[in-house]
Amino acid sequence: MEKPSKGNLKVPGTIINSQNAQLLTSSGIHSLDSILGGGLPVGTVSIIEEDIYGSHAKIMLDYFLAEGIVSKHSTLVASFDTNPYDIIKNLPAVITNDPEECPIRSETSSEKMKIAFRYQNLPTAEKESYSIGHNFDLSKSMSLEDIENSDICYWNGQRKETGNSMFANPAYNELLKAVKEKIKEGKFFLKDNPPNRTILRIGIHSLGSPMWLPHKNSFHLMNESRDLDMFIFCLRALVRSAFAVAVITIPTHLYHENSLDRCIHSSDIAMRLQTFSGTELENNFSLSDYHGFFHLTKLAAINSFASKHPGSVEYVFKLRRKKFHIEKLHLPPDVQEVHEKNATPSMGCGSSTKHLLEF
Amino acid sequence: MAAVNPLLASLDIKPTDRVISIKENGNIDSNFVITHLIKQILLENGKLCFVILHNTLGHYHNVGKRLGYDFLKQVDEGGIRTIEPLKDIVEEIGNGTHYLIDDKEQIVKALFTSIKNSIEELAATAPNRVYLIIDDISHLLDLGIDLKYIISFINYCLSLVNDDRVSVVINTHVCSKSDEIICNNLNYVSDVVIEVLPLKTGLSREVTGVMSIEKSGNAQVTQFHFKAYDKGIKTFHLGESVYNLYK
Repeated sequence: MEKPSKGNLKVPGTIINSQNAQLLTSSGIHSLDSILGGGLPVGTVSIIEEDIYGSHAKIMLDYFLAEGIVSKHSTLVASFDTNPYDIIKNLPAVITNDPEECPIRSETSSEKMKIAFRYQNLPTAEKESYSIGHNFDLSKSMSLEDIENSDICYWNGQRKETGNSMFANPAYNELLKAVKEKIKEGKFFLKDNPPNRTILRIGIHSLGSPMWLPHKNSFHLMNESRDLDMFIFCLRALVRSAFAVAVITIPTHLYHENSLDRCIHSSDIAMRLQTFSGTELENNFSLSDYHGFFHLTKLAAINSFASKHPGSVEYVFKLRRKKFHIEKLHLPPDVQEVHEKNATPSMGCGSSTKHLLEF
Repeated sequence: MAAVNPLLASLDIKPTDRVISIKENGNIDSNFVITHLIKQILLENGKLCFVILHNTLGHYHNVGKRLGYDFLKQVDEGGIRTIEPLKDIVEEIGNGTHYLIDDKEQIVKALFTSIKNSIEELAATAPNRVYLIIDDISHLLDLGIDLKYIISFINYCLSLVNDDRVSVVINTHVCSKSDEIICNNLNYVSDVVIEVLPLKTGLSREVTGVMSIEKSGNAQVTQFHFKAYDKGIKTFHLGESVYNLYK
């Protein structure tokens, strides 16, 4: 997005990164914001590649939307698979403190553990001062009053016009149109000058799922994700020209490997979630604290040469009752006892366990 | 030109290099090559027709400031002409005209006509060299344009080189089979091929990626490692990154 040329530009729920003149807004998840270098840049498209069950990607989208409502941003929600009203209705509630941190802090103060003085003042976890973003409690849902007072546009693919469109499935065209109308109506274009400037949050759930397949009688050939490529590219053009930020979840596992590469190229931030459940990683001892890997596939360099990509760091996410959290993967110290099964001493090269082939 | 930019020195682009192609692989960003080339063009007092399909004007302006040129000022003064299909697409969503029509051949035809007009007008104003830069031609694929039309679009663009004062720089991103076809065709006719690759082994703190430069008629491929900083790019020969970073 272009630099807002006036220095006095103030949009609630955003900060300006002075280094590269980039307006940032929170994704709703503090740990994600810090990985992304402060937050989501306004005017960008982010893609979340869903995990196999799609549930964790949905939670990330919920956080993104909830943050928008709390910050009094306008919102556009779109989904074919679930009713967008339901998505909004079940958004997490905003709370003042970090839900997971308070109990731990009180415990440590009562025990008064002593540690070497040089480590005393070091933070136990990576903490940063946040100037944007709120805390949310996943176990409670947002009050109806808050939802009713905010500007939310729902899109569930109901309106269908039969017109000439370049997409194999006209729904893509419809959604683009809806986004453009919303931007126009709310005066979010860069050239517009509304009295109270806010931003538009666009959340699209499960784009490109089987519900988005072209109609049977369409004359377009269905090849890979052509519609999806075109949609993301056009959305990028739209969002770049406005005070808007889009987060899209895509069920990638339904597509061929690498068929989403063009979408990723057209997007600015690409993330991928990989859950452990249902895979062999589920039983891995060192990963038992977490629910899956978080891969940051792409973090585009905007207004700068260098991307803020953290480099070769592995991230993992965990979902607690109240909070979704992304952190660096630290392997636990290797001090656990060896499993009882293998504990029996073996002699030389002979194996202690009876093998079928051994007689 | 007292201090030569190290990246430009390693690129070593000469006025005789008429067709330059930049190949971007994987998730690496080759945008810095273009922004540096703009710097060189402006230093040479050349004129530029810039087709922007990937980033915005604001991005080039911000990056340009770090390299010491004022992009928007140049646009105002007429030294740079921009063609921004992205802006037109925004206008056309919902109307289904121009870029968003079914007749894909028409899209590239219209695009080429506007390029040709700009180039001719720029060439008429001054006897300087005129450059055409297309940032990411592979985005035409995203618009659903057939491969054959894109290839012939490239052919048309290259025909502009028949005028001795015109040079063409085209950036491609390679991630699918069709991208590769475009890129290979382009490389075949290029005088200089600049390829930007991520490291094969993954990400590294010292090196962002590899840049290889191949000049036609010269079988030798020059390879550099580079590291992207907020303010600029550092290049070094393979394996010398450590000396450069911890000097």
